[in-house]
Amino acid sequence: MAVVRKSVAAMTTAEKTAFINALRQFKTTSVSGRSYNAYIDLHITFFARTSDGISHAHQSASFLPWHRAFLTMLELDLQTVSGNPDIFIPYWDWTGGASPFTADFLGSITNGSVSSGNFSPSWGWSIYRSSIATSFLQRRLGMNASSPSAATVTTVQGVTVYDQSPWDPTVFNSYRNRNEIELHNRVHNYVGGHMGTREAPNDPVFWLHHCNIDRLWWQWQATRGIDTYQPRTGFTSGVIDNTETMRPFSTATTPSAVRDISNLDYSYA
Amino acid sequence: MAITSRRDVLRYSAAGVVTAATAAVGVQGVTSADSAAAPQSAAADPRDFDETYKRKKIKGKHNAGGKHELQINNRKLALTSISTLFFPEDGSAPHVGVGYISAVNHYDPVEIDETANRDGLKKLAKKIVDILGDAELSDEAAQEHRH
Repeated sequence: MAVVRKSVAAMTTAEKTAFINALRQFKTTSVSGRSYNAYIDLHITFFARTSDGISHAHQSASFLPWHRAFLTMLELDLQTVSGNPDIFIPYWDWTGGASPFTADFLGSITNGSVSSGNFSPSWGWSIYRSSIATSFLQRRLGMNASSPSAATVTTVQGVTVYDQSPWDPTVFNSYRNRNEIELHNRVHNYVGGHMGTREAPNDPVFWLHHCNIDRLWWQWQATRGIDTYQPRTGFTSGVIDNTETMRPFSTATTPSAVRDISNLDYSYA
Repeated sequence: MAITSRRDVLRYSAAGVVTAATAAVGVQGVTSADSAAAPQSAAADPRDFDETYKRKKIKGKHNAGGKHELQINNRKLALTSISTLFFPEDGSAPHVGVGYISAVNHYDPVEIDETANRDGLKKLAKKIVDILGDAELSDEAAQEHRH
C-alpha cells in the first residue's frame, strides 16, 4: 500500500510506537523467509566487493538505488510482520529539528551503551554480528564527527553529474560520491558506536538516516531528471549499469526500475 | 573542465603517494637484507608501536604494500585500504588519499602514509579505543574483506 514517509518531527506518538514495535517484532519473527538480522547480514555482505567483482551497496554508482531497494524491502516486511499496511520509514533531517533519540522513540541514551529504555536488551533489542564485543547497542553522538550543515547539503545537492568514471570514492564531480562521503558517511560517524560500523543496521536510526539520504536523492532527481542514473546500459566493468540487477534483490531490480518512487508505493512529505 | 582536471591531478598525486611508499619499503628491504641484522628486518618500520592508550594495549605494525596490522588488547582488527576523497574538517582543500577502514570505522577512513600522515595507524588505533569505551573487539572485527 502506498505510504507517505514523514519527518520524525511530524510523526504522531501512535506512528512512533507502531514503527518501533514493528522493528522489535521483526527481530524475532520471520516474514518472506527472513527476519531483521537478515538485513544486517546483507549490509555486511554487500558492503564488500562480492564474487562478481562489483561493489553493490557502497563506494560505487549503485549506492543510492541499492539503498532505495533495501529500504523498500524493509518497509514492506515491517508492514507484513505487523499486519499494519500504514507502517512507513520516517526520515531524520540531521541538519536540525527533531531528534529521533528520545525516550518514546529510538531511545534517549547517546553516549555509550543503550542499557535501558527503547532498543535496550530488556526492551527486546538484541545486537547481532557486532564488531564491538557487547550486548548493548552503542551510540556516541558527536564524539567522532559533527553533523553536516545545511550549507554542505546545499553544496552537495548542487552537483549536477550523477556519477562518472572511475565510479569509486575518488570522484569529485559526482553527486553520488559527494552525497555518500559528505552526507552519508558523516552522519554514520556523527551518531557513532554501531552506526559507524559495518553492521550499522543494528541501530534502527540507520533506516531514518538512509530515508533522508533517499529523500535528498529524490529531490535531486526532481531537479536534474528522474532518469539520470549513470552508467547507462553498456556493461561497465565492475559497476552496476542502469539496467543491471542489483544483488541480492529480485531479478530486474535495476537502478532504472527504482528510479521513480511513485512506482515503489511511497512518497515524501 | 577545470574540476575534472583537478580531480585527475588529485588522483595521480594519490597514486604517487602509493608508489613512493612502496618504493621506500622496497629500499628498506634491500638494505636490511644486505646487513648483518637481516633476521630483524621484518619489524624495522620506525612507525611501528606497542604501547598503552586509555588502559588498552595498542599494537601497530607497518608492512610492505600497505598491508598494515593492528591489535587492540591482543585482538586483531582487520584493515582495508581504499583510495578516497577526503574533506578535512579544518576547511583545507578536498584531496584524494589512501585511507584505512575496518569493521569499526567503516565510514571514516584514516590516512596512513610515510609523510604527512606517518602517525596514521596510531591515530586509527586511538580512534578505535575511543569508540570501544569499556568494550573489546569481537571476532567479527578480525574478518578480512575486500573493497
